[in-house]
Amino acid sequence: MTFSMKRSMAILYKDYKDVSKNLYVSTTVLLPLVMAAIYGRMGIEAIDTHYMVINMIFSLVAAYVQCSLIAEEKEKNTLRGLMLSPASTLEILFGKSLLSFISTIAVIIIAAFLTGYNPDNVIIVGMAIILSAVFYIGVGTLLGLLTKSVMEASVVILPIMMIFSFGSFLTPFIEKYPVLKFIEYLPNLQLIELANQVEAGAGLADVWFHLAVIIVWTAAVFALVVAVYKKRMMD
Amino acid sequence: MAILKITNLEEHDEHTVVFPPFSLEVFAGETAAVHTNTNVRNVLLSMFMGSMPISDGEIRVNEISAAIDKRKFLANIGIFSLNDGLYERLTVKENFSFYKNLYGSEISVEEGLRAVQLDAERNQQVRKLSYSQKRRVHFGRMLFKNPALFIFEEPDQNIDLETKSVFIKLIRKLCQNGKGVLILTGNLESALAVTSRVYRLGETGLQELDVLQDEPDTAAQEQHADLLNGETPAVQPVRFEKVPTKVNDKIVLFDPPEIDYIESSDGQSNIYIKGEVYPSVFTLAELERKLHPYGFFRCHRSYIVNLQKVREVVTWTRNSFTLVLNDASKSSIPLSKGKMAELKEMLGLK
Repeated sequence: MTFSMKRSMAILYKDYKDVSKNLYVSTTVLLPLVMAAIYGRMGIEAIDTHYMVINMIFSLVAAYVQCSLIAEEKEKNTLRGLMLSPASTLEILFGKSLLSFISTIAVIIIAAFLTGYNPDNVIIVGMAIILSAVFYIGVGTLLGLLTKSVMEASVVILPIMMIFSFGSFLTPFIEKYPVLKFIEYLPNLQLIELANQVEAGAGLADVWFHLAVIIVWTAAVFALVVAVYKKRMMD
Repeated sequence: MAILKITNLEEHDEHTVVFPPFSLEVFAGETAAVHTNTNVRNVLLSMFMGSMPISDGEIRVNEISAAIDKRKFLANIGIFSLNDGLYERLTVKENFSFYKNLYGSEISVEEGLRAVQLDAERNQQVRKLSYSQKRRVHFGRMLFKNPALFIFEEPDQNIDLETKSVFIKLIRKLCQNGKGVLILTGNLESALAVTSRVYRLGETGLQELDVLQDEPDTAAQEQHADLLNGETPAVQPVRFEKVPTKVNDKIVLFDPPEIDYIESSDGQSNIYIKGEVYPSVFTLAELERKLHPYGFFRCHRSYIVNLQKVREVVTWTRNSFTLVLNDASKSSIPLSKGKMAELKEMLGLK
C-alpha cells in the first residue's frame, strides 16, 4: 500500500471548495479573529490572554471545523464512498485533516499579528503550536466519527471548547483541591506553561517535558481515531 | 474467465432462510439481473461491501475474494447504491474532477460529463439537480472508478425517461467493454429492459427465468425461407409445457408448478406467481385445458388454482367455500359450490 499524495490532495481540494460554499463553517473561522482584533485593540500583554485566543482557535477551527467536515461526510452518506474507494485509511484521514490544519495555522498567524503576540523563540513555540494543532484535529476527527450529523457535532464540541479554551481559569482551583492536579497535564495548560517559560528565556532543553506531554496526548488521540475509524468501516 | 463467481452462498437470519445456497457466474461482457426483494438485496449488497460477514459460501470477483485481499476486492467492484451520497455543495464538474483524482481515472471530466449527459448542468451545484440528474452523477462516479464488476441497485427506480435511456445505453457499452454487470432489482420490468438473463432469488433459491426476445423479423424471415424451400416444418415431438406471459415486449416462460393461481378479470387472465401478477396471452379456458394435466383445477368461473398449493378448504356455510393457498400472502380463492363435488372427487373423497 503506497501513500498517494494525489488522492489526499483531491480530498483537500474538494473540502476547500465545499467549505468555501458553506457559510455555517467558514464564519466560525472568522469568530476567533474578531476576538483577537478586540483583544489587540484593548492592548493586553499577558501571555495567558494571547493563549486564550490561540486555544479558542484550536477548539473552534481545528477541532470544530474538522469535526463538522467528518460529520457531514457521514450525514450525507459520502464517507462510505470514500472508504470503498482505493484511498487508504491514512490517505483519507490525512486529506481530510489537511484543510483544518492549514486554516488553523493561518488563523493563528493572523491572530498573533492582531493581538501583537511575538514569542521570543519562534521555533519552539511554533513546534508546540503545530503539535497542539495536530492534537485538536485528532479530537475533531474522533468526535466527527462518533457523531451522526453536523448538528450533533456542534453540540458535542461545546464542552470540549469549554475545557480547552477556558481551561486556564481552572488553575487557581488546583491549589485549593489537590485532586484536580491532573488538569495541569491537559495539553492546553502545557502549551501555556511552555509559552511562559519560553518568554522567561527557556530553551528546548527546559521545555522538552511539556512537548513530550503534548506528543503523548496527540498519539493517544490518533490511536483512538484509527480504532474508531476501523470499527465504523464495518458498519 | 468469470468476473463474478458466487459459490454456494447462503444466508439465514435466526429461524428464517434469507436465501438457500446458490451459485451464479457473470462473465466478461455479460449482464445478469437478479429479481429479488428488498431484504435479500440489502443482504447481498452488504456482503459485497464487506459490512456483513459471509458465513457460508464465497463471492469472488476476478478470482479475488474479500477474505484474500479486501482492498483489491473492493477496487474491483463498483456499487451503484440507492443510499450513497454526493457532495451537494459542489458543482457537477467539481464532483467529477474529485472522482477523477480520487480514482486516478484516465477518463477526462469532459468525457464523463458527456457520457451521462450532464454537459449543460456542469456548473450547477448538485443539490439543485433533480433526483434523476443526481442518479446520473452517481453513474458518472462509477465510470470514473471503472471496476471490473458493476453492481446496480434498482437502477431505474424513480428516474425519468432520459436517464433511463442513458443508463441502458451505458450498461450496453460497459458490456461491450468487457465488464461484468449485476443488477439487483425488485422490478422485473427494469431487469428485462437491460438483459435477458434474469434470475429470481428468494427463500426457495435461485431460478433462471426463460426469456424469449420478441424477434418478429427473424421469425418471419424463417417462415418465408421455409415456404421457398417448399418444406413443411417438422412436427416437434417435444411437448411444450411452459406457460408464456407477456411483460412489455418480452415473453417470460414459467413452469406450471411455479404458478399459484390464475385469475381472470375483464377478459384478461392474470397469472399469480409469488405475489406478482403476469398477464397471460391465453384465455382462462385455454389455460385450463393446457394445465389440467399438471393438477390445476377450475375452481370458479374466473379462477384456476394449482391444487398443489392449496393448504385448506374453508367451508363458510353449506354452499360457500374458500381455498386457502400456502403461498407467502396466504391468498384465498373462491370455490363455487358446483365445483365442490368435482374437487372432492379429485381428492378421492366420496
